[in-house]
Amino acid sequence: MLFDATVDGHAIRVEVRGRDGRYVVTLDGRDLEVDHQETGAHFVSLLIGGKSYEAGLEKRPDGYNVVLAEDVLHVEFRGASRGALAAPRKAAAGPARIVAPMPGRLVRVLVERGQQVEAGAGLVVMEAMKMENELRSPRAGRIAELPVREGQAVETGALLVVVE
Amino acid sequence: MKPFRKVLIANRGEIAVRVIRACREMGLPTVAVYSEADRAGLHVRQADEAYLLGPAPSRESYLRIDRVLDVAKSSGADAIHPGYGFMAENPAFAAACEQAGVAFIGPRSETIALMGEKTSARRAATEAGLPVVPGTLQPVRGAEEIRREAERIGFPLMLKAAAGGGGKGLRLVKAAAELEGAADRARSEARNAFGDDSLYLEKAITRARHIEIQVLADHHGDAVHLFERECSIQRRHQKIIEESPSPFVTAELRERMGGLAVALVKKIGYRNAGTLEFLVDEARNPYFLEMNTRIQVEHPVTEMVTGEDLVKLQIRIAQGEPLPFRQEALSQRGHAIECRVYAEDPDRGFLPSPGRIVALRVPGGPGIRDDSGIYEGYEVGVQYDSLLSKLVAYGFNRQDAILRMRRALEEYRILGIKTTLPFLDRVLHHPSFEAGDFDTSFVEKVFAESDRDRERPWDVAVAAAAIRAYCDHLQARVTGEVPASMASGWRRQDWRHPEGRF
Repeated sequence: MLFDATVDGHAIRVEVRGRDGRYVVTLDGRDLEVDHQETGAHFVSLLIGGKSYEAGLEKRPDGYNVVLAEDVLHVEFRGASRGALAAPRKAAAGPARIVAPMPGRLVRVLVERGQQVEAGAGLVVMEAMKMENELRSPRAGRIAELPVREGQAVETGALLVVVE
Repeated sequence: MKPFRKVLIANRGEIAVRVIRACREMGLPTVAVYSEADRAGLHVRQADEAYLLGPAPSRESYLRIDRVLDVAKSSGADAIHPGYGFMAENPAFAAACEQAGVAFIGPRSETIALMGEKTSARRAATEAGLPVVPGTLQPVRGAEEIRREAERIGFPLMLKAAAGGGGKGLRLVKAAAELEGAADRARSEARNAFGDDSLYLEKAITRARHIEIQVLADHHGDAVHLFERECSIQRRHQKIIEESPSPFVTAELRERMGGLAVALVKKIGYRNAGTLEFLVDEARNPYFLEMNTRIQVEHPVTEMVTGEDLVKLQIRIAQGEPLPFRQEALSQRGHAIECRVYAEDPDRGFLPSPGRIVALRVPGGPGIRDDSGIYEGYEVGVQYDSLLSKLVAYGFNRQDAILRMRRALEEYRILGIKTTLPFLDRVLHHPSFEAGDFDTSFVEKVFAESDRDRERPWDVAVAAAAIRAYCDHLQARVTGEVPASMASGWRRQDWRHPEGRF
C-alpha cells in the first residue's frame, strides 16, 4: 500500500508491505524491515534492524502524532491509494488565518482592520492557564478580518485574525 | 507541643498529592478541597475526605478563605497546609487561620506580608546585611512613574509584579521603546493573578544564575539552611529544570549564601520552611531577589541530597517541635535533578496544551521519583497551572544523575496532549547543560537555536504511522463487511472477544 506523507517538512512516498507483525516499509526507495508489536491501545514496539523503539501514536484527522523518546512528530497522510486517509491539503501560501490554539480569553487586541503588519508582529494577547500569550503574525500583510473583541472568551480553533 | 488531629490541604494537583502523602506517612488523616473542575483530581481520590469549595475559577474556589475555613471547621481539621500558589502567600488567609484557631503550616501572617511585598522584603534584606540588585524600593503604579524610575535605573531592566511570584507579571525590558507595552502587559497579568497591579523595577543582571537557598526555622528561634538549588534553566522566566548542588557554586559561596539566608531568617523571626532566591553574577556575587514563604515546587531535589523530608518537617515545626538537627549535622550527598513536566508545546513557544491524557507510561527503577498529579484518563483543564508532574533523578554525582534522568525521561510517555518531556530530554543531552555551563537565558538563546536544526527521527515516526494506517486500513476492510445480525441491531458474539470489545 502506498502513502504520500509529510513529516517535519519532508514530503515522502511510503510503501508498506507484509502482515502479522512483519512489514517492509519503503521510504524514498530505502527498505526498512520492521518487526511491529502492539503493546497497548496507543503504543507500539518497533524492531528496525535490531534496534528497539517504543512509539506512542495519537490519531489525528489527517494522520498521526508519533510520540518518541526525544521528539514528537506529526505524520500527515495526503492520500492513500485506497483513499481511506485522504485529507484536503492545506494551502501553503495565501491569507494566514490565525485561530485560537487553546480555549481562553482575549485580553488584548493589538491591531485594527486594514492595518499593515510585519511578520512576527503581535496580533492579539490571549490568557489561558494563568499565562498571557501573544499570538504573532506568521507573515507580513494587511489585517483583512478581525471577528473578535477584547475580553471575549474563545474556544480552540476560533478564528481570531486573517492576515492577507 | 500538640500533635495535629487532621490536616486540610488548601491546594490541588501534584503538590496537594505530595502533602497528602506526607500526612499519610505520619498517620495524619487528610481533608482535600476541590473546585467543580477538579472532582476527578488525584488529590480528591487520595485524601481521606474531600469537600467541594465552589465553581472552577480559583476566585470562587481555591481562593475562598471563608469556604476553606468552613470546611476545616466542619471536618474537624486543626491544621491547614497551603502548598504553593493560591493562598500559600496570602497574609489575609494566614491571619484568618490564626483567628479561627487553625494552625497555618507556614510562617506568621505578618512575616508573609513583610516578605510578600517585594519592596519591603528588599528593605528587610538590606537591613540584615544582604546585597540586593539595584532597583525601586517602593511599588510603582502610574505609567509616568514607571518611566521616571526606568530612566533612573537604566536598561536592560526587569519589571515585576510587586505582589507577585511564579513568573506572572514578569517582563524583561531591553530598551526604552519596549517599556510602555511591557508595562501594560505586566500590570494586566499582575492584576489578574494577584488582584494588585503595582510593579517594581530592577536592574537586569546579564549572564545571571538563579540560585536559591532552602531554610527551615522552628518556633523556638532556631534556624538552619539546607544548601542551594540551581534554578537557571528557565523558559519564559519560569524554572523548568532544577538541581542540587549547583555546578556553579563553590564551597565558599555556599557557606556565604547559607549564612546570609540564616541571618535574614533570624532577623525577621521567620518560622517554617522558606526559600531565599538570589541572582549570582559571573563573578559569583550573590544578590538577594526575594523570599518565598512557602514550600517550593522544586523542594524534592533538596530532599534527595539532604535525606530530609521537608513537608513532614513543615508539619512538625507547625506542631511546635524544635528542629531535629543542627546545621553541622546537615550535608549534601550525591546529586539530584528535577524536570518539570508541563502540559505545553515546546515547538510552539510553550503554548498551553490542555486535553485528555489518553495513555500514560511512568518511569521507574533506581533513583527515580515522580511527584505527579495526573493519571491515565485525566483531563488537563485550562483553569489552573499546567504543571503535570515533577520527575526527579538522584545520582552519586552530577553525571550519574544526568544519565539517570535521560533514561527516565525516555521511559516517560504522555499521550493525548503536548508535554515538555521530549524537550527536557533534548536539554539533558545538550553539551552546555552537561558541562554545567549555562545561565538563565540558556533555553531562549543557546538551546533554542541548536534545537531548531535538530535531526528528527522522522524515519521511525513515518514507519510507525504508516504501519498503523496500513493495519487500520486492513481492519476497516474486514469490519466494513457488516454481518446481517449486526445490521439489524443484533450483536454477533465473537468467540475471541466474548464481550464484543477489541
